[in-house]
Amino acid sequence: MSGVHDMGGRREEFGPVDKSQHELEDWERIADAVNYVLNAKGHKTTDEMRRAIEGLEAYREMSYYERWAAAAEKLVVEKGLLTQGEIDERAAALEKRWSGG
Amino acid sequence: MGENGHGHPHEEPKQERSPWAARIRAVEELLAEKGLLTHGEVEAQVRYMEARSYENGARLVARAWTDPGFKALLLEDTKAACSELGIDASGSVEFVTVENTPEVHNLIVCTLCSCYPRAILGRPPDWYKSPAYRSRAVAEPRAVMREFGLEIPADLPVAVHDSSADVRYLVLPMRPRGTQGMSEEELAELVTRDCLIGTAVPREPARV
Repeated sequence: MSGVHDMGGRREEFGPVDKSQHELEDWERIADAVNYVLNAKGHKTTDEMRRAIEGLEAYREMSYYERWAAAAEKLVVEKGLLTQGEIDERAAALEKRWSGG
Repeated sequence: MGENGHGHPHEEPKQERSPWAARIRAVEELLAEKGLLTHGEVEAQVRYMEARSYENGARLVARAWTDPGFKALLLEDTKAACSELGIDASGSVEFVTVENTPEVHNLIVCTLCSCYPRAILGRPPDWYKSPAYRSRAVAEPRAVMREFGLEIPADLPVAVHDSSADVRYLVLPMRPRGTQGMSEEELAELVTRDCLIGTAVPREPARV
């Protein structure tokens, strides 16, 4: 059985190709760049990233760079570079700051 | 950016902001604090990607149309051909050029994700990453191309190339008729991003 990401020839996905283009937000550029830098510095590989993306439970509900962000987070925790707790805490602090809290 | 005067464009909340916006920034900050990467490296990579464009591919095509020796090099060793035009190909994995001829039309897809020669051509268009394109391009490529306004004659075979994490593709389209005497720069302008994926072909210039 093929994974959720394996789309080739999958009939239930057939439909008109939506050609609209969304403008990248800053955080998406950062998600892209953080991934590249982590690869370039040998902290992870493209294949590890793919495995992490393909294993995301909410794959179909997530946007493209949401998958990248989630997979990068999963990998840095898995590799012991960061802990889930410190990421959760920092993300909450950033959200609070942005909302003017 | 900076419209509220705080001067920290990266920290301005946006209505459409995803919960992942805070999470990836948290990850970046923490990695930087631990010395695993620097903000400077991330910023440099953002700028590098912004500077990558399909125009690099259009230049490769225009040179190949005008210089048979260069075309041979492009088909033999695409990264070496990039270097010859001063296009940085150091960031790309294996990079292969496939040639459209009167005998075959080529179409590029990545059924598994979004593999694309990003390091040369920049980010792929959103539709390239869509489930509809990824599922259909290998099953009914002619119908997909028709949606892009490209009708491939029934007797012209179509070759679909499925990209991977290790190999990325570029289509070398055929030079349109009516382009004799055009400069390399003028020729490059006929080559759109979609021509390099295979969902379009360069159009004959309008007659004046």
